[in-house]
Amino acid sequence: MMPEPRQVATATSDIAQLRLDVRPLSPGTSIDEAAELFLHPSYARMLCLPVVEHSRVIGSVSRHQLNGIFMRRFGRELHGAKPVIQIMNTAPLIVDEMAPLEQAAGYVTTHLGSPITEDFVVVRDGRYVGMGVVMDLLSALQQRVESSSRQLGEAYRQLKASQAQLVQSEKMASLGQMVAGVAHEINTPLGYVRNNLEMIRDVFTQSSEALREHDRMARLLLDPDADEVALERQIGRCREQVAALDDLALLDDTAALFGDSLFGVDTIKDLVVNLRNFSRLDQARVASVSLNDCLDQTLTIAGNVLKNRVQVIKRYTEVPAVACSPSQINQVLLNLISNAAQAIEHDAGKILLRTEADASWVRVHIQDNGKGIAPEHLKKIFDPFFTTKPIGQGTGLGLSICFQIVQGHGGTLQVVSEPGRGTKFVVSLPRRAADATTTAAIAA
Amino acid sequence: MNQPPSLLLIDDEERVLRSLAMLFRGRYSLHATTDPQTALDYVGRERVHVVVSDQRMPQMRGAELLREVRLRSPNTMRILLTGYSELDAVVASVNEGEIFRFVQKPWDAAELRDTVQQAATISHALFSTSAQPSAAALSAPPPQREAVLVIDDDESVYRTVSDLVGEAHPVMWARSVDQALELLQTQAIGVLISELSVGGESVTALLKVLKAQYPEVVAIVLTPFHDVSVFVGLINQGQVFRLLPKPVRRGTVSMSILSAIKHHRSLRQAPERVIAHAVAPLNQVEEISLASRMMGLLGRLRRGATPA
Repeated sequence: MMPEPRQVATATSDIAQLRLDVRPLSPGTSIDEAAELFLHPSYARMLCLPVVEHSRVIGSVSRHQLNGIFMRRFGRELHGAKPVIQIMNTAPLIVDEMAPLEQAAGYVTTHLGSPITEDFVVVRDGRYVGMGVVMDLLSALQQRVESSSRQLGEAYRQLKASQAQLVQSEKMASLGQMVAGVAHEINTPLGYVRNNLEMIRDVFTQSSEALREHDRMARLLLDPDADEVALERQIGRCREQVAALDDLALLDDTAALFGDSLFGVDTIKDLVVNLRNFSRLDQARVASVSLNDCLDQTLTIAGNVLKNRVQVIKRYTEVPAVACSPSQINQVLLNLISNAAQAIEHDAGKILLRTEADASWVRVHIQDNGKGIAPEHLKKIFDPFFTTKPIGQGTGLGLSICFQIVQGHGGTLQVVSEPGRGTKFVVSLPRRAADATTTAAIAA
Repeated sequence: MNQPPSLLLIDDEERVLRSLAMLFRGRYSLHATTDPQTALDYVGRERVHVVVSDQRMPQMRGAELLREVRLRSPNTMRILLTGYSELDAVVASVNEGEIFRFVQKPWDAAELRDTVQQAATISHALFSTSAQPSAAALSAPPPQREAVLVIDDDESVYRTVSDLVGEAHPVMWARSVDQALELLQTQAIGVLISELSVGGESVTALLKVLKAQYPEVVAIVLTPFHDVSVFVGLINQGQVFRLLPKPVRRGTVSMSILSAIKHHRSLRQAPERVIAHAVAPLNQVEEISLASRMMGLLGRLRRGATPA
């Protein structure tokens, strides 16, 4: 006869899922009848029942209240026939079915008395639709919190992974730029060295042929029985060979190729040494180096970007060596120098590289006379993903990684810029060897 | 050729110049300089058959220098020598320099010697032919208008081209290599505007074979793809006329089509000039096999706008 309270499955909101179908009391229901309902097994979980008139919730009657009445002597006899409206709580907990779980839980826990003596009433557009149990609400909230923190943890892991990936791709991008530059720098000497070798080989073949013919002639001359005609013929052959060598002028010209070729091979050697110094793949991660040297190594690598376009002015002072990760610092310098070169869109480009030291810092100034950075961009240039380059041409991570690297060294990276006049970056690294934690951080 | 052909070398690295000078020693009347301006003055003053220029130089990019050479002396064959093939250099060398070959450092001595020799022979022939067709002759349309063939999956490219030149020229649209071949056989196509692949099939081999067989057909490549080695192949083996980026910029496309049509007419009116676009032989196996398939079909290609 009593409808079973059941979870309403059709609802979609959080509260609707907790809602129990409970037939409400009407204002005229007697206290006795209400007590009977509380005894019904299907209402065993309910702490209170709603009192509803014309679909409007006007109050609630709790098990606790009835206990209070019935525990008094003759309480049931005196009060059992009275309508519930006389004793009901006129300010029950009312939750809108569409309220978010967190908001509902907040409201319920603030207004809930102690001990817990009531459930909350669920309304839709102000009309009664069912009841909800406080404990259900709290455990739903707890589940929600657990799943959120799981999701947060997952999102955090994914974020860390993709950040690592982006840092890696930024590294690959600067590596690619470096490879392109070095490939160009190497291909020029390689081009003429290879060409020279091929020509030297040809001349060598011709020369050895000529030498053989001359040797034959020498033998003929030494041979007392030699035939005049044969000698004549041999002299002719020798003359031909010498003529093929452009009367030996070819030998002189070829000799000049040796100097160029050795120069070319040395150029390639220097490039490779610089590349190795720059990347430091085969050296200690933390070393005491002069920032002047770092700048010079970086300039060789960046040569391709700078060459022919930009005049580089070096104003180095003797600066003390600083303990740092040279490959990381080189990465920072390459990034700043390439940016400077890219910012220059006119023919009279200049990049000024200045180093200086005071009692506690060694500083590198990298200044260009390029297009400058707009004030509204200047604030954001160290933010990850901030870029003014077209999509696909910059990850927007370069400067943010530079900033992190310098910070990791206990230093600072500062910028001043004036649109149309140029930009200056200042890398400051502490003179004193970084403490153990920083050293560990930069070595990682 | 009684006198040796004249060869001009430009590179900012003197050692490259010395090395190249040795390579061409005795065969050419040689001039070498590190200064592009000196080179241009020389081209303006003397008859030069072949120019070999570096791309990266302090005063001027090689592509730019070769454009100036072309303007001063269109019969001089232009070869670009680069240490590292940047996309910009490749594209500019086609669009501005209309170069004969793009050669990468380190070069192969024998190959470069052959390339320069071929260029010298061509240039010699160009200098000995009669003067170039007059501008009036070029702008006068032939009795039958040359058709423009668009090879692209994207209909909007076809529509754009129709919009731009549809009133003056029939515009056809092919969505596959086979369709393109069919249209080439049945229609008098003067200019191609092509993607690099269509209907999942590469068009590069078609462009190369077509240029080898029918050098008067002028090709514009319109593509978002930026593969330097493909572009270099299209220059050396396909002598494409323009490399244009997608998305389509109407102004550039329109200008390119007009100059392509003009170029096509000049080649048709002075067929002896087509040798300027002699192509290097194919070297990739897959392209060669594709080429032989197309050769058969292209044998029936209708030549030009007016019946021979």
